[in-house]
Parts: sequence; structure tokens; C-alpha cells
Amino acid sequence: MSIKVKLHPVLHKFTQGQGVIEVNGRNTGQCLREVEKMFPAVREEIRDKRGRLRSYYSVLVNSKYTYPKQLSTPVKDGDEVEIRLIAPGG
Amino acid sequence: MRPGCDRAAHYRLTESDLIRYGRQVLYGGFGEEGQKRLKCSHVVVAGLGGLGCPASIYLTCAGIGHITLVDCDYVELSNLNRQILHYEENIGMEKPASAAEKLARLNSTTRITTIFERITEENARQIIREADLVIDGMDNFGTRFILNKACVAEGIPFIHGGIYGLFGQITTILPGKTPCLACIFPEVPSHRSIFPVFGVTPALIAVLQVMEAIKLLAGFGRLLAGRMLCFNGETMDFVYHDLRRNPDCKICGRRKDEH
Repeated sequence: MSIKVKLHPVLHKFTQGQGVIEVNGRNTGQCLREVEKMFPAVREEIRDKRGRLRSYYSVLVNSKYTYPKQLSTPVKDGDEVEIRLIAPGG
Repeated sequence: MRPGCDRAAHYRLTESDLIRYGRQVLYGGFGEEGQKRLKCSHVVVAGLGGLGCPASIYLTCAGIGHITLVDCDYVELSNLNRQILHYEENIGMEKPASAAEKLARLNSTTRITTIFERITEENARQIIREADLVIDGMDNFGTRFILNKACVAEGIPFIHGGIYGLFGQITTILPGKTPCLACIFPEVPSHRSIFPVFGVTPALIAVLQVMEAIKLLAGFGRLLAGRMLCFNGETMDFVYHDLRRNPDCKICGRRKDEH
């Protein structure tokens, strides 16, 4: 299954400028792990020491937020997974 | 709808009002009735940083009758690339007082109240209780969540804005009708305390927040209710994300009382 993973621009410095990575996976967690295998620095940025997604990133599928199943939402061929930075400032 | 519609009948526009606000009164669907609604409205601006400064300028220009400015910080040199109500001579001054001084010169008919306090679980409801809506100008999610909870408890609309670098987001929270902040982000996002920002990013998000406030208070247009608008200034893309209420939300969920 071909899934496009769209990365927030703050992550592009970890992917040699690539904003969209095509991977295979059955759910959001598998897709993110595929991206992390290709670009280990992405993992360092988006996960904490225990491997949990950092609280200031959201995972969306086809533009919809996936809470509370950010890393276990099923995906199918053609879906777009997005990692989005939650903007904190004011 | 909660905002000051009921009170508007008791307000009248002066000749000066009709001249000052003439160009916006011309707008179809707004008119003199809309202007009266703004005149009788009370808006709390929580935070007088990159969002709160431009937001309070445009609220004041638009003719909001009463604005309460809340912040607990003093003006610093590092604020001046984006916090456009504070000038060099204000460094060291309390932010609400610094902002109020300029807003009073901009529009003497707007009543400005200042509160130099940190927003906490203990005082949040008291601070916002008399407001028709609250503008989110906070620089951290911890306090945003306190405000969100207080707004849900008091049934007061909360216009959320957030920025990072050239990126921004905004949504309008109508308690009981739309997802609240805790529905969207069940875990309080905990960022590093210092992050990049250009002044133009909060300026853009702030004017969108005020646009939402004007529509909400005057009762026209379509709000960003149940939708998150995200802006990418690197590519100039605006995208919307539909939001859903979380029935298990610990702040506004229908099942929260069963927990």
C-alpha cells in the first residue's frame, strides 16, 4: 500500500528537504516508523526518550486529526498522513 | 448566541461614531446594528504579546466598547520585533499599562481595563466572567488550557490563535457547540520555552482572530467554528482541518461527569 507522509516544514531539515515521503504501512504508526527508518533524525525530533510522539506534534490522515489514535489509525492505499507542528506561540 | 446582542438595543451611535465607523457600517449584513453590537461588547485579550498587541489595536479601531487587557509580564527589548504596542521607552513597563496608553490615544471612546496578573486556575473564571468573548494571545499551552476550561465553564466563546516562525493556526471555540481546545489536543502540548517568530506571523493570525470576533459579536458571516485554519508562510498556503468534538473530553465531553 502506498501512503504519502507529509512532513511539517520544520522537519524538512531532517529529510534533505523532502516534504513528502512515500511509504508502505497499514496504520499511521507503521508509516511513521518507515519514515524514521529512512531519516532517523526525524525520530529524534518527533518522539521523546520513551518513544512516544511529542505532545507538540499532531498526526492527521486526509486532513483529519487522529486523536486519540495518533499512532494506530488505519490507512489505505492513496491516503495522506501528515505530521503537523502545533504552533504554541502568541 | 451569547454576545451582546440583547444589550445593543439600549445603545445608540453618536454622530462621531457614524463618521468614525462609517466605512464598516456600509458593509452589508453589518450596518448600524452591527456597530451597536460592537459598542456594547466586552472582549478580554489574554496576553499582550505578538498576538495580543495587534488584536487589541484592531478591536479598538473597530469600536469594541470595553476591552480588558491581561498580562503578567514587563516589556523587554526582545519583544519589540512583534509586540507592536510596546515601544523602546516602554521597556521595563507592565505590558497592560503600556498597551492601554496607546489604545486610549487611538480611540478614546473604548473603555480599557488592565489586569497585571498571571492567569491561573484560581482567577481565570473571575477575569473572563463579564466578557462576551476571549481572544487567545497566550504564549504557552498551559495557560491556554486554563482559559479554555474557564471559557467552557462560563459559556464564553474563545478564539484560539497560535504561531511558530512563519506558521500559524486559528479556530473559534463556541462552548457546547464546537470542539474545545482539549478535544483537539487531549494532551497539553509542551514546547520548548523559546521558539522562532517573525512579527508578521502573529500579526496575520491576530487580525484573523479579530475578524472572527467582529463576525461573532455582530452576528454575521461564517465562523471558523469546528474548523482549524492553518497558515504556512513559507509557501503562503492556507489549509482547513475539520475538527470533531470528543465525547470523552475531560473539559467539555458529554461523558465527563461519568469519569
